[in-house]
Amino acid sequence: MPPMITPFDPKRHHIHIRFFVTDPRGRHHALDGVLDTGAPRTEFSDKFLAFAGFIREPAKNIAIKPGLQTQKYGKLLIPILEICGHAISDFEIFASRFDESWGVDALIGLDFFKKFRVTIDTQAGQIRTEPF
Amino acid sequence: MGQNMTWEEMKKMFPNEWLLVVDYELDALGDIKTGTVLRHSKSKDVVYALPAVNQDTAFRYTGESTFAGLRSHATHDHTF
Repeated sequence: MPPMITPFDPKRHHIHIRFFVTDPRGRHHALDGVLDTGAPRTEFSDKFLAFAGFIREPAKNIAIKPGLQTQKYGKLLIPILEICGHAISDFEIFASRFDESWGVDALIGLDFFKKFRVTIDTQAGQIRTEPF
Repeated sequence: MGQNMTWEEMKKMFPNEWLLVVDYELDALGDIKTGTVLRHSKSKDVVYALPAVNQDTAFRYTGESTFAGLRSHATHDHTF
């Protein structure tokens, strides 16, 4: 597979990545995530996961600890996921409760980017990803 | 069903809100160029409430993200 070039807006405070999830009924969802190289694991908003039918409902007993903005709490597999133009099957993610003001549905962590040779050009606003 | 509008119109009409958009068109960045806002609210619970919409959807927030990296690496044990 050739390298994929994914544009992003370098003027934003973080690197926002648009990504796509196919739910168990075959519906496609276009979502906004943040590239988070400080996160070892990818996390998805539990509210989206419930909407898409991956979990029955967000856990009721999960609270975000003071001073934090997220709390991850359970693992599951996403059967079909597309990030940076790469389709990935059965990708394990954490369901997480996000602070709503984050405005995103995922933190894309190192576990995704370890699958690829990644170059981030912050001047051009491009992420180059190439399978090893 | 709402009317089809541009992303700029959505941001102006629904500032700092979560949107559920259908019948959308994306640009090269994956940003919404146009679409129809089916749900909108400052509360994420309202926009993501069940029952789900039985068609392709896009979720977006029209405000600026406050993400500051204050995340927990600890996990709760939880079975779905």
